[in-house]
Amino acid sequence: MVAKKKLSSKNSGKKPSGNTPVIVQASSPVEATKKVEPVEAFFASPLYDFVTPFRPVGNQWCAKYVIVIFALIIRCAVGLGGYSGLSTPPMYGDFEAQRHWMEITQHLPIRFWYWYDLQYWGLDYPPLTAYHSYVLGKLGAFFRREWFDLETSRGYESLDLKSYMRFTVILSESLLYIPAVIYFTKWVGKHRSQSPIGQYIAAAAILFQPALILVDHGHFQYNCIMLGMTVYALNNFLDGFYAMGAICFVLSLCFKQMSLYYSPIIFAYLLSKSIYSPGFNLPRLFAISVATVLAFIGCLGPIYIFGGYKNLAQMSYRIFPFARGIFEDKVANFWCVSNIFIKYKNLFTPQDLQLYSLLATVVGCLPSFVITFLYPKKHLLPYALAACSMSFFLFSFQVHEKTILLPLLPITLLYTSRDWNVLSLVCWINNVALFTLWPLLRKDGLALQYGVLFVLSNWLIGNFSFVTPRFLPKFLTPGPSISHIDDDYRRDILLPKSIIWRIVIVGSYLGMGLIHFLDYYVPPSLKYPDLWTIANCSLGFSCFMIFWIWNNYKLFEMRNKTLHDL
Amino acid sequence: MVEHNAKSIEGKRTIAASASKSVKTTRYSLWNFWICATALKVLLFPGYYSTDFDVHRNWLAITNKLPMGKWYLEATSQWTLDYPPFFAYFEWFLSQFVPKAVAEDGCLDIVEVGNFGFPTIIFQRTTVILSEVVLYVALQVFINTSDISEKSANFVMASSIVLSPGLLIVDHIHFQYNGFLFGILISSIVAAKNRRYLLCATFFSVALCFKHIFLYLAPAYFVFLLRAYVLDFSSFKFKSYKDLISIVQWPNLFKLAAVVIGIFSVAFLPFISTWPQLLQRLFPFSRGLTHAYWAPNFWAVYSFADKVLTVLVLKLPYLRKILSIVLTSMPKTAADIRFEIDSNNSGTRGLVQDVFFVVLPQITPKLTFLLTLFYQILAVIPVLFDPSFKRFVGSLTLCGYLSFLFGWHVHEKAIMLVIIPFSFLVPFDRRLLTPFTLLASAGYVSLFPLLYESQDFLLKFLYTFIWCILYFYAMGQTSKVNRSGIRRVFFFDRLAICYYLLLVPMVLAVQSLDVLKHKYVALEKYEFLGLMIYSMYCSIGVLSSWIGLSWLYNFDEPMWN
Repeated sequence: MVAKKKLSSKNSGKKPSGNTPVIVQASSPVEATKKVEPVEAFFASPLYDFVTPFRPVGNQWCAKYVIVIFALIIRCAVGLGGYSGLSTPPMYGDFEAQRHWMEITQHLPIRFWYWYDLQYWGLDYPPLTAYHSYVLGKLGAFFRREWFDLETSRGYESLDLKSYMRFTVILSESLLYIPAVIYFTKWVGKHRSQSPIGQYIAAAAILFQPALILVDHGHFQYNCIMLGMTVYALNNFLDGFYAMGAICFVLSLCFKQMSLYYSPIIFAYLLSKSIYSPGFNLPRLFAISVATVLAFIGCLGPIYIFGGYKNLAQMSYRIFPFARGIFEDKVANFWCVSNIFIKYKNLFTPQDLQLYSLLATVVGCLPSFVITFLYPKKHLLPYALAACSMSFFLFSFQVHEKTILLPLLPITLLYTSRDWNVLSLVCWINNVALFTLWPLLRKDGLALQYGVLFVLSNWLIGNFSFVTPRFLPKFLTPGPSISHIDDDYRRDILLPKSIIWRIVIVGSYLGMGLIHFLDYYVPPSLKYPDLWTIANCSLGFSCFMIFWIWNNYKLFEMRNKTLHDL
Repeated sequence: MVEHNAKSIEGKRTIAASASKSVKTTRYSLWNFWICATALKVLLFPGYYSTDFDVHRNWLAITNKLPMGKWYLEATSQWTLDYPPFFAYFEWFLSQFVPKAVAEDGCLDIVEVGNFGFPTIIFQRTTVILSEVVLYVALQVFINTSDISEKSANFVMASSIVLSPGLLIVDHIHFQYNGFLFGILISSIVAAKNRRYLLCATFFSVALCFKHIFLYLAPAYFVFLLRAYVLDFSSFKFKSYKDLISIVQWPNLFKLAAVVIGIFSVAFLPFISTWPQLLQRLFPFSRGLTHAYWAPNFWAVYSFADKVLTVLVLKLPYLRKILSIVLTSMPKTAADIRFEIDSNNSGTRGLVQDVFFVVLPQITPKLTFLLTLFYQILAVIPVLFDPSFKRFVGSLTLCGYLSFLFGWHVHEKAIMLVIIPFSFLVPFDRRLLTPFTLLASAGYVSLFPLLYESQDFLLKFLYTFIWCILYFYAMGQTSKVNRSGIRRVFFFDRLAICYYLLLVPMVLAVQSLDVLKHKYVALEKYEFLGLMIYSMYCSIGVLSSWIGLSWLYNFDEPMWN
């Protein structure tokens, strides 16, 4: 990565550029010289440094493209690594699942999509995934028939196929997720009088979120579509296009059912906006309901038309796998971690567990639901979505480790915030989430990518700036390249101001380091082969839990504030 | 002012800001670039590598396992050691750090075809990244020692080199150590700029003993050092021929000679017993005029012209008659031509073989050598009259150009030998930017066929694209605008922009040709077509940028004041 360039030393003066950037005056009454310094959330971070050359108005147009292209380059580079199920017959992994869906959707009529050979990666996502697979499968088959031949292409592996599949993810992401995120950061920035440069830095910080890059472009999935549509929904809400937002959200839902994690908040927000705040608004309510129903009909219609009711039922049965256990593999949520002490599977029937998990989830997301309903404010949306989806992640049924991406999306969007504490926690929880993905990524052969992206993402937002060596000879001049930052200025590590938080966060980082160390050097005993993975999950769970509690508190605290305090 | 905003600022930050000096300076450090670029390069580890990887692995093994006397004799693998001794020492040095796990992986086995896994890849790729630090250090020193007025331009230039797509493609994907080697060359250029001539000669000799391709740049160095360091015309008055002796600064001459001879003897003396073998390895003239894929130089155009003429001559008898008057060596009848074609079936498809021209005269190594030398002499003459740094870099660039354009068996990778010296020239004058954009865009794009695998396409394309956009723009903003700038021919500038924008559709078209060849079997016959388009289109760019620079170098007076 790296956006850089001293585009123009001449006009990159200290004068504020664009629409009223935040200027502050460092108060030092002794000095006669007034110091004017822009307040940026990521002031003095390497991202700030790289984006500085684009500060002059004449250069601003290209900052966006530069950031996007470097984000894409990193994604391409991650894509060179392994993927889920590489050379592991007979079942392979998520890559093969996606390829298999491209194969069956283009060769079978719609009425067989949810029925065909369910043992081998039967389709278990909503129809939009299927349509998406259909289009990409057709396109791929145009280039090479053998990639997607029915039955015979099972387990097909070649470099060209891998490149094609990687390309489809990059394409999907650059069409949906990336523009959505950029629009979001620009909207927030504009309405908070943030400088354009600040907006771009926030966008870059969000786009370099390691977890999504690793899961989508390394492990191989299309989460960027679901998340992108959700951000589009959010953008529409911000702009006040409620029906449009509802449609986007339905599309997200129809791509992957996991975005149900967001649905209570979206529902509460829309409901509140239509009937309660500021008053009863029948046209809006009507528009939203009609749009939602129409969007659902549009997505599910073909399934019904070509397969009747039975097909629809089969689809929902496939999408909501209640027949499976309360958790699969090891995941950093309540059920998996408490399972160490309470063996749920021996104590309760699956039906009981379903009920309990449902209750726990409802209780968990109730606070955010109520607050969103009572205070449907734009600046609360990311907090509420984070709290709600996190409670789903922690307490609901059948959660995968990759599902952490859902709570992570609204949390990461909070990189637009200006509050040091919020930024610190966002950064922290991103690192924790990346850590909980470690067992998965190691299995996919992505250890290298995991390490690099951990370092890169933290380093870009200035988390490692404090270690910039001071002992190197003068001619090496480590430090910011272009921006006007004083020689002896070091950006602090992103840690909240409260000492308790600091202890918690630093402690968790040390714990992560320890677990990685043990994982590498100490083979677990035969009795507990998963010992380090469970340690990983437990640590992850405790961090998520703490964050979730803080998140709910923050939601409560922010209820009467405005966007400017974000 | 804006007092209310002050509340929202971090208290700590305010303190830090007010405590520091009030004057803010820009440090122009390459530090951040290094970290980011390194992260990207590490991510490239699992990607494609060429046979050059095994070549270097084999050298590690040879230098590690064999006594020095056998280094240049060993031929188990076809990838024999064919770099000068310093590079062999360098490989030996690296091989001392091979960890046990990597050695067990087959890194140090002298075998016909390397049998190694990921540990070896990690080790060797890491050595490339670490050795490249030399490049960063050299350029950082260059930035730090440059005058405050030219710092920003020099910083742009320096960062353009460290982030160069050429180095990324050739070193970190294809696999070579160019970053390190160019680091040494750049050290000598920096020394020349700072008037440390002895240091300059040292670095250049060292670079030469690392990779003998730098020999192409030697004329410029020779003349520059001779004129700037050895000869002194300041108090020269011709009275008799004895005065000629006094223009030579003898102490300087001896120092220079001692340094150069010393370095060369350290490099070559230990191998004196295998001297003929060493020479044969270093200068293999048995190879053909052009490489399998034509580097975008003059001979590519020449070969292309021959192909076109062959077809035309077969179709148009009149043309044959006219041409045969001019080109006496040309076969006289259509039957002869067909016979020639059949007996020398096509020059581009085989691996390394002689290239045969049907219509146009044959090219011999001697001819290419004379042509290169002739133009290089023209390029260094101005340095004799004006031994300034600007002139020196100009002649260096031209020497690079000539070796690339007219040399024997030129690799496309050699374009770096032109682009890097040229980068040092650009900050001096905005008008040099036009030839530079032509050269850099065409040169870097011409490297694309090195990475033929589909997985690298997007990466190389996006990286080169954004590099060109950013740096062409940034250099345009930072390089000096001389008053004579009015005399810029705007038409050529626009044409250059059209040229490099058209590279994008060209690359995409060739790529789709490549993708579609599996679909339409008929296209497979035209596999070479993509390469030919690349090399033709890029040679247009490289040749016209050479003409542009030559014009400015030889005839533009104000630029060289």
